[in-house]
Amino acid sequence: MKLMWTTQMLLAVIGISAGIAVAGGLFAFLVELGVVADFADRTHTGDRILLYESCAAFGGIIGNIIYVFQISIPAGPWILGICGILAGIFAGCWAMALAEILNVFPVFLRRAGLIKYLTVFILSIALGKGLGACLFFFRGW
Amino acid sequence: MSSDGTTLYIRGNRAVEVTKSEVTLGDILSMECADRRVIPRVKALPVLKIRTPGRQRYVISILEIIACIHKNCPGIEVQNLGAADIIVTCENQKTPSKLWHIAKTVFVAAVTFFGAAFTIMAFNNDVDVTRLFGQIHELATGRAGSGFTVLEISYSAGLTVGILLFFNHFGKKRFTADPTPMEIQMRLYENDIQTTLAENASRRGDEIDVDNTDASGSDRD
Repeated sequence: MKLMWTTQMLLAVIGISAGIAVAGGLFAFLVELGVVADFADRTHTGDRILLYESCAAFGGIIGNIIYVFQISIPAGPWILGICGILAGIFAGCWAMALAEILNVFPVFLRRAGLIKYLTVFILSIALGKGLGACLFFFRGW
Repeated sequence: MSSDGTTLYIRGNRAVEVTKSEVTLGDILSMECADRRVIPRVKALPVLKIRTPGRQRYVISILEIIACIHKNCPGIEVQNLGAADIIVTCENQKTPSKLWHIAKTVFVAAVTFFGAAFTIMAFNNDVDVTRLFGQIHELATGRAGSGFTVLEISYSAGLTVGILLFFNHFGKKRFTADPTPMEIQMRLYENDIQTTLAENASRRGDEIDVDNTDASGSDRD
């Protein structure tokens, strides 16, 4: 009995440490990409940055609980669709912010000498990503 | 001129927002001078006249401002303690409706919430946390985990603690007096935008400056 207790304690320590480490890493990444700061700036709602931070925190906490404990949520296709759009917007901004942080665009544009057709370039990235996602889901890859 | 030889200290923020079409130096600078009579006179000097209505931006070089002061009050020595370029943004007087502001806030909050939830799920899925926990559980106890063990519970608790510690606040209650990571990120982003605006204007040559010749010869773009 005593042995089982210590094992459980060990597991708890592992779990808590893993959780804190993952939270630190993932959310540092999220903040450093500046996606939310970008949203706040674009919509001129910088005064609500604390609210957005809380939303990111609760989204992470609740999303993790739902995933880990496989909690089923009775939601119709409508709610699913809305969640999908919101998560998609976020993932799209995330992907572009990642490319931006890594200076993908300045490097390519400078190499190719492209300045004029920047909008075409950006549009084709967006369309390509959307098309790629569609293909991925339709083919069930 | 009684103000001969006195020094006027000026300090401007890098980004200023104005609502009127006649911008005076007092709107964009704060100033200090030993001779008190100088300040109101300098403050009233017009520096920029915005003709077309609507939202627009001007980048004014501090040299232009100093030249303006020299022209109108000769004999004053000007010391700049602020930014070298001042970005003046002209905003329309009407503030957008409160409802629209709330709608935008709700939208961003929703995107952030679902985005963060999606992100953590995608991460857990990517590294297959469920299987990993099963393996750790088997390693420690010799039995396969049920998917609802102390490991899953403590992981969720740890994640919660980690997120709240990282963001440094719970709702409106802050744990320390430091600004939160997103507040810092916001400021950095604003700084980047201001630098870009000022440098873009100076490269294009439409900065309001004493001589508008482009000095940066190494420009390729």
